[in-house]
Amino acid sequence: MNPQQQDIPSVGADLEQETTGVPQPDGREEETLTGGLRRLWPNFRQATFRSGRARTGRGRALKVFANLFLHIHSTRTHLYSLRFWTTAGLGIAAAASFVVAAVTGVLLMIYYTPSTALAYQSIKDIHYTVPTGRFIRNLHRWSAHIMVIAALLHAVRVFFTGAYRRPREFNWLIGLALLAVTLGLSFTGYLLPWDQLAYWAATIGSNIAGSPRELTDALGVTQHFDPGGFLRHLLLGADYVGQPALTRFYLLHVMVLPLALVGLMGIHFWRIRKDGGLARPSDAQLRAEGLLPHPGRANPTATVFEPGPKKTYGLMALVRGRTPPVGKGPENTAPSWPRALRAEMAVAMTVLAICMLLSLLADAPLKEIANPQIPENPAKAPWYFLGVQELVSYSAFMGGLLLPGLVVLGLALIPFLDRKTEPAGRWFVPRPHGRRVFVRSLIVGTLLVVGIEALAIRLGWIRGWGRGTAMEPWLANPPQLLIIFVNPATVLAALYAAWSLWIYRRTRSTRLAAIALFTCILAGFVVLTWIGTVNRGPNWHFYWSPGDWPAH
Amino acid sequence: MSESNRPDPRDPGEAPSGRAAKIVLLLASAATLAMLVLAMVRENFLSEWRWHQRTYRQMLQASDDPRQRELGDAVAFELRQVDLPQFGTTDRCVSCHLGIDNPAMAGAKQPYAAHPGDYLANHPVGDYGCTICHRGQGAATNFHEAKAVDAHWDYPVLPPGLTQSSCGICHDAGSPLMAEHAPKLALGRRLFEDLGCQSCHRLHGVGGQLGPALDNEGLKTRHTQPMADVVGEPTLANWLVQHFADPQAVVPGSRMPPPHLTARQTEALTVYMLSLQDRDLPQTYVAGDLVTGWDRRLHQRTTDGATLFANYCMRCHGEGTYGSYDKFFERFMPAVRGPGLRAMADETYLRRQILDGRPGTLMPGWNAQTGGLTDAQVDALVNYLKAGDGGPVQTLRPAPTPLAGGDSARGGQLFAQLCSACHGQAGEGGLGPALSNPSFQRAASDELIAATIVNGRADTAMPAFQRPGTAGLTDAEVRDLLAWLRTLALKGK
Repeated sequence: MNPQQQDIPSVGADLEQETTGVPQPDGREEETLTGGLRRLWPNFRQATFRSGRARTGRGRALKVFANLFLHIHSTRTHLYSLRFWTTAGLGIAAAASFVVAAVTGVLLMIYYTPSTALAYQSIKDIHYTVPTGRFIRNLHRWSAHIMVIAALLHAVRVFFTGAYRRPREFNWLIGLALLAVTLGLSFTGYLLPWDQLAYWAATIGSNIAGSPRELTDALGVTQHFDPGGFLRHLLLGADYVGQPALTRFYLLHVMVLPLALVGLMGIHFWRIRKDGGLARPSDAQLRAEGLLPHPGRANPTATVFEPGPKKTYGLMALVRGRTPPVGKGPENTAPSWPRALRAEMAVAMTVLAICMLLSLLADAPLKEIANPQIPENPAKAPWYFLGVQELVSYSAFMGGLLLPGLVVLGLALIPFLDRKTEPAGRWFVPRPHGRRVFVRSLIVGTLLVVGIEALAIRLGWIRGWGRGTAMEPWLANPPQLLIIFVNPATVLAALYAAWSLWIYRRTRSTRLAAIALFTCILAGFVVLTWIGTVNRGPNWHFYWSPGDWPAH
Repeated sequence: MSESNRPDPRDPGEAPSGRAAKIVLLLASAATLAMLVLAMVRENFLSEWRWHQRTYRQMLQASDDPRQRELGDAVAFELRQVDLPQFGTTDRCVSCHLGIDNPAMAGAKQPYAAHPGDYLANHPVGDYGCTICHRGQGAATNFHEAKAVDAHWDYPVLPPGLTQSSCGICHDAGSPLMAEHAPKLALGRRLFEDLGCQSCHRLHGVGGQLGPALDNEGLKTRHTQPMADVVGEPTLANWLVQHFADPQAVVPGSRMPPPHLTARQTEALTVYMLSLQDRDLPQTYVAGDLVTGWDRRLHQRTTDGATLFANYCMRCHGEGTYGSYDKFFERFMPAVRGPGLRAMADETYLRRQILDGRPGTLMPGWNAQTGGLTDAQVDALVNYLKAGDGGPVQTLRPAPTPLAGGDSARGGQLFAQLCSACHGQAGEGGLGPALSNPSFQRAASDELIAATIVNGRADTAMPAFQRPGTAGLTDAEVRDLLAWLRTLALKGK
């Protein structure tokens, strides 16, 4: 019953056998109009669904195989891939929240008008007069947040399970691009309501884009070479956030970025198949660790086929490496229909249910109409950029552009520096060192970021130092270049890099060094995001909670 | 084959997504469905406006009047709105306030009651909507967000006592019509003039610059004003009321003297402030009395010296007939209509002082650009100052002639002995005016300065220095002082 043990006949022939429930029309009846009408429904059903209930393994395979949307799966899925903690469903969650956002986004587009004069009112109309308009907007907002969270966690999962390793390097890069597009989608959507929140978040974002000026100004070359001004202009189409910016953000949000996302998603999914399904250890290893069913009465097919260790089974001309069904062993797999699809649907519906619950409980914010005369205080970017904004408060260029750029570059380099292929697909490989390095790096990374932030918050940065000493006048007004290159962001980055290099020196493992650095960055991201979101109030002063903010 | 697809739950190796996924899928789908139903019910059955429309319909149908019963049958359950693009408003208030223009609903409970008074006769709901007068968020379809006191909306519903402020959008607050129909607004405007608010605040291009301009005061928001010390809801109306009671309590460090108003006056002044709105008013909404008001403001400005003095000068100078120490501003206010200045100063000096003011002091310039007074008005003020209170001017002992040729070094020593106590070591001013002020140096003639030294200024703190029984400066010493004072013009530049 395994698909590859049979010759795969032409698709049409297969389907005919599958559609046993449909009575075969005899020729005479078929020719008559009444006969055609009488058989309209069964014929239509056969033409549309092509198959009835899939009762056999082959039928299930065909369900997947003969469907445009399902055939991105292989017909069978490895049991290990179906385990919840292999993926935690995060990739599917990100994709599902995108579908929710896309559908609700199209509904919002029916009423939204991308004009500075009308945008705000059109959102108000969506809130107040469009049937369930507020609910739909809430869904859009919440699904966007969930998409960002899921995409971030998905990247974390892929990293810690080592699933980026050869031959999946390219898909890791695609994933990074998807993460960037996701953040871009979320950020461009932020401006569209044209309220105070939107206006000032976009202003901050564009100022970060313009922050290379900080460096060029300090070097005195802005007049000749002004990449910051160029970036800012490219984003806004003007010197301030206005109609040209709204038009650009709208275009990016509803067309350019979604198309890019869909395209990249297609490649991302397709690569999973081409790279042999989800990363996983070998069957032998899994079985040794009790993660696969042992052969026995309950699993008669568990060891039908054990690939020979020195043989390759690939269709050499067609596919790089070994083909999934042959090399990886068809045993210990389950038909994708319905097992994998049901698991995916469960994740997707859970995401939808969470979105709906949040949408019923909390409304998407809509503040006063945008007013360039009244800056929000504090003006904050969307939450996922608040860690960056915290660093930006020391140096816009370093914290907002260069360091995030270096982080992205570093992430992209990981699979090219860590060239091992095995073992992958298990958390914190190589075990047990991976987990140990992770825990230690988590502690070190958290302590470092908290320490540096505490220092900067308590004592200020450079300007507040050396009170009453001979250095005071110089420290009170340090050169801009010093601030750009020595600030909490760069110091933190340097310490993280040092920690990672130390791990490398001790272990001689790029993977462990990568775990150290990645974990530190993760800890830094979480802590900084928390500080930026919760602890920063008016004038970006530190408060233990927003309740302590002075009343305006 | 089917057996192998049915996982054995006891098997540790079986992927859990088999049964667990089924259960999760079922639960999540059921929850999604339930929440969709909930959202639908909430939208279609639980919204406030539907409830009110049903109630209104029942109220009408229960009426004795067949005409009202007919109206009740015709009530359709739908959102209603008054859309006024020329004002940028969309008022959906009428979705619940259904009886607003139904006379039979007079005195009914809210939100069904008819509008009190006869305002709607001249301001039909269809032409004016609601929020132009009452403010609030007209687009909202529930009461909390329509009142918009704390709903991210710049203009919350006005307290009923302050609604007259909105009359000032299309009407002139100073017109007889408003005096009759919007007495608070009219009183507020009168107070604004009588209290001399424009001494410090600019409005319609006229006024001093110590305080902020008030042209758009009525459209300021909670975000433009410091609300930290406002008691109660952080609205502009509350800010204004509490600010008039005690400016420093609401704006720490404010230099505005408390206006000392009664509760009624405070309300009236607040109403007038709220009526100050920089709007592009559609032509068809401009009332006749507003045009008259514009005409008066632009073409028929008063040239009555006494009125001008009261509006723009009296706040600081009082009657201006004697110098006085202002405890609030902690400085002497010159006697601009005093017998001394009237005797010594010529019209050119007075005009220059009014036009240029004294930079660096509280005294602003009142020329067309800075203070907004016309030439004719400045002339009228000069004449008014010159005339004083009609009493006799100071009799002057002639100043020495010639005035040129003094020794400034000796003058400096004299100044340090005799003058610096009040005028400051370098003439920078203290209790007395700053003599190094370039505006003063430009405007004051040698004769004026010498006459002041010789005679002092009657009814001010400035004593005479060359009269019998005084310091008894010689003519040469007066010249020396003058010479030294003139060196300040160069330094103080």
